[in-house]
Amino acid sequence: MKLTIERAALLRALGHVQSVVERRNTIPILSNVMLKAEKGKLSLAATDMDIEIVERVPAQVSRDGATTAPAHTLYDIVRKLREGAQIELDAGSDRGSMTLRSGRSTFTLQCLPPEDYPHLAGGELPHTFQLTASELKQLIDRTRFAISTEETRYYLNGIYFHATRSNEMPVLRAVATDGHRLARVEMMCPEGAAGMPGVIVPRKTVGELRKLIDENEGEIGLALSETKIRFAFGEATLTSKLIDGTFPDYDRVIPTGNDKILEVDCKTFAEAVDRVATISTEKSRAVKLSLDKNTLVLSATSPENGTATEELEVRYNAAPMEIGFNSRYLLDIAEQIEGEGVQFAMSDAASPTVVRDTADPSALYVLMPMRV
Amino acid sequence: MSIRLLPPTLVNRIAAGEVIERPAAAVKELVENALDAGASRIDVVLENGGQTRIAVVDDGCGMSSEELLLAVERHCTSKLPDDDLLRIRHLGFRGEALPSIGAVSRLEITSRPRGSEAAWRLRVEGGEKGALAPAAHPPGTRVEVRDLFYATPARLKFLKTPRTERDAAVDAVQRLAMAWPQIAFSVTADEGRALLKLAPASDRRTRLAAILGRDFADNAVEIAAEREGARLSGLAGLPTLARATAKDQYLFVNGRPVRDKLLLGAVRGAYQDLLAGDRHAMVALFLELPAEEVDVNVHPAKAEVRFRDSQMVRGLIVGALRHALAAAGHRASTTVAATALHAFRAPPSMGMLALQPRPSARELAEAQALYAPPPAAAEPAPAAAEEPEPAELYPLGLARAQLHDTYILAETRNGFVLVDQHAAHERLVYERMKAALAANGVARQALLLPEVVELDEKAAALVAGRAEELAQLGLVLEPFGPGAVVVREVPALLGDKVEVAALVRDLADELAELGEAFALKERLEEVCGTLACHGSVRAGRKLSVPEMNALLRQMEATPHSGQCNHGRPTYVELRREDIERLFGRR
Ligand SMILES: Nc1ncnc2c1ncn2[C@@H]1O[C@H](COP(=O)(O)OP(=O)(O)OP(=O)(O)O)[C@@H](O)[C@H]1O
Ligand SMILES: [Mg+2]
Repeated sequence: MKLTIERAALLRALGHVQSVVERRNTIPILSNVMLKAEKGKLSLAATDMDIEIVERVPAQVSRDGATTAPAHTLYDIVRKLREGAQIELDAGSDRGSMTLRSGRSTFTLQCLPPEDYPHLAGGELPHTFQLTASELKQLIDRTRFAISTEETRYYLNGIYFHATRSNEMPVLRAVATDGHRLARVEMMCPEGAAGMPGVIVPRKTVGELRKLIDENEGEIGLALSETKIRFAFGEATLTSKLIDGTFPDYDRVIPTGNDKILEVDCKTFAEAVDRVATISTEKSRAVKLSLDKNTLVLSATSPENGTATEELEVRYNAAPMEIGFNSRYLLDIAEQIEGEGVQFAMSDAASPTVVRDTADPSALYVLMPMRV
Repeated sequence: MSIRLLPPTLVNRIAAGEVIERPAAAVKELVENALDAGASRIDVVLENGGQTRIAVVDDGCGMSSEELLLAVERHCTSKLPDDDLLRIRHLGFRGEALPSIGAVSRLEITSRPRGSEAAWRLRVEGGEKGALAPAAHPPGTRVEVRDLFYATPARLKFLKTPRTERDAAVDAVQRLAMAWPQIAFSVTADEGRALLKLAPASDRRTRLAAILGRDFADNAVEIAAEREGARLSGLAGLPTLARATAKDQYLFVNGRPVRDKLLLGAVRGAYQDLLAGDRHAMVALFLELPAEEVDVNVHPAKAEVRFRDSQMVRGLIVGALRHALAAAGHRASTTVAATALHAFRAPPSMGMLALQPRPSARELAEAQALYAPPPAAAEPAPAAAEEPEPAELYPLGLARAQLHDTYILAETRNGFVLVDQHAAHERLVYERMKAALAANGVARQALLLPEVVELDEKAAALVAGRAEELAQLGLVLEPFGPGAVVVREVPALLGDKVEVAALVRDLADELAELGEAFALKERLEEVCGTLACHGSVRAGRKLSVPEMNALLRQMEATPHSGQCNHGRPTYVELRREDIERLFGRR
């Protein structure tokens, strides 16, 4: 394999693929990135056995071939080369090493044979459909914060994507929950998605995916089976295993009859919560919401510091009530609301509360109260 | 293959495998026999770590020739007169020790009953009983064990170095000696070197000091508590005296040394928030309870026991220790000061200094002026000319200076204390948080997806049975069919990464074993501990004199302020005598 490539192009592609490579590996080849030169393109691939990213970049290939080189080292080298530099990669016939030349620098990297490189990509992915980058971004960004990091309920460590019907309309939904709160976002079901199985996309994949979305506009091709999912962006492809588990029947925990409705300006509300919570030193910063006709009093107490209260003008016409929440959870949700108003539908101090953007019905959040 | 009754020698060797696993076990059995015989002094000789020879001599009641013949027979004992295993009043009761030892060694017993003129000797070699022979011996018994395990070479291979075996044997005697302060003990090595020499002591504290060292006796609180007919006494070391292993936890039940899980767990529980996880308290605790309340016949070496009411026993221990330790308040151990003292060293050469003339009064005054704080510059003057209170009034004295922005130097009535400001403040914050938790209850985060935790049926019932108590700690759960519980709310303090299932399983184990929900309390307190650490004044922060005095006064008023959450001391005290000693004035 022998080729010449522009530093910026190589750096960008390496940047994408190397981030899936774990820092510590017991299987040596998993520390490497697979490099393959063919028909005027260099393709780079990296995997941690759960996620695989493949990206192709144009290069001047003078000899086709393939090898695998240490991903982090290669990335660091390319990063430190001068901007605008041309890089020559040359893996000789013995293939035990690869030489990288640029200007007056020469590096020789230990390589491992490409035949040993594990491939995740196999297997059929029968369900295919298209999403725009901004649609996928919405689905991810508005649910991601609720993904659980607690590992015993591993089936909560990702975003659950599935096709269903909502108000008689076919929709594609993304759901995440950590057992304390839940986020659900939906969009019109794209063509081809209706028959897909429900799949749980792991947290790490979501993170990698998010980086790729930022750098690619336009259409993303999705293909999935019950065990794998693939996202195809122009020249980059991310394939990931799915979490092998059953996502809980979340619909059951979303209350439908909550009739105590509070509507408040989202920004004002979030700022007030943030201010009031300042008083408590604990990790679990509890904030109490006391509701009466068209007024909301936020309050917090700390045995150490004292108390804080703030009164807000709101829209509320139901019976007076009090309910407590973890202020961080309130702020997390407020951050997801893009419109001006936020609506809380409550039942009582012990039951789940439903939060929505008053202007946007596509997203819904459920939050469990905190009790003292 | 035919089934047959094993010959007695083989039976004894099998028993020996369990009862006599190493020389120390033989020593323990023989010393126990001497104690059972009412001896007032017991002398032990160890040759080659006990492997070549063990001799135990007592001045107890002795045995007649007929008794001697019976003593080495299996299941012959004088100690169960009414055949009642529920009321065991002696250390021995199985009639197994002597025949077991006799089966694996060359055993020789010489004994003369009190009030008799005749002494008799009996030998048993590898289980073969010899003939009785008349002997000369003062009243009492002498048991010699030669070539232990010569008859079971396999066992011989497992012995450690003579030194290790010897130490284990001494440890066994020490443990018994702690429980029997009035009795004199000695252990001598083959070359005549005394390994242990204990004169009869009038009380337990003296005996414990003789064995465990003055440091322990001086830095331990006295325990005396009683509950439902059970009595707990002994000494509990201050947390600052803690060790890296649990080796120095000496526990006794009715005068019998034990290493019992329940008791060790109770001790751990009592010290739980006073020590870092890898530190262990030093204690010597004696539990006395009616013989029918405890089953001692559950372990071949009698090292474990079973209590009829283990909850009560646990409660007694945890309660008594906590109470006594809280009363000890801010006391930190003097060993801390002693360690500090060793660190002070006289300058290497006094000669040079001696040659210099004594500083004149003027020079002294100049020097003082140099070190005095600039007049009212750095610190705002403490509230208008408040008369400085006399140092006598306060145990931790009055702050005189801050060193390296980290340590507070305070003058006390008879010495000075050096306070680690971060450690001390951390403890104060922590105690305050704990008090707040206790007063306001633990805030609970309700779960959107209640978590079902599968346990075995017994464990599930146990956990569910304590639901009310757990709810007070912020964990709300209820039974969920047989063998499972469903968790509905968790302590908010634990954040969103609580492994609910793991927590509940730990709790189930602890409730079964120890009867108390430590795992939860521990985690809550751990979080408090971390928060306290972040919320307290750091080393490196300048404090004004009023600030320093305020810290000292709070320490005096706060229980457990003598050590930080990790069991390190928060202050050391140097008494005037110590200072004088340092300068050779004493
Ligand atoms: N030092 C001694 N002084 C007087 N009598 C003794 C002495 N050692 C043993 N005996 C007698 O020999 C008997 C047998 O002792 P052995 O140690 O074998 O059994 P035990 O002490 O009754 O029970 P265990 O097997 O539980 O120790 C004792 O019951 C006691 O009567
Ligand atoms: Mg005995």
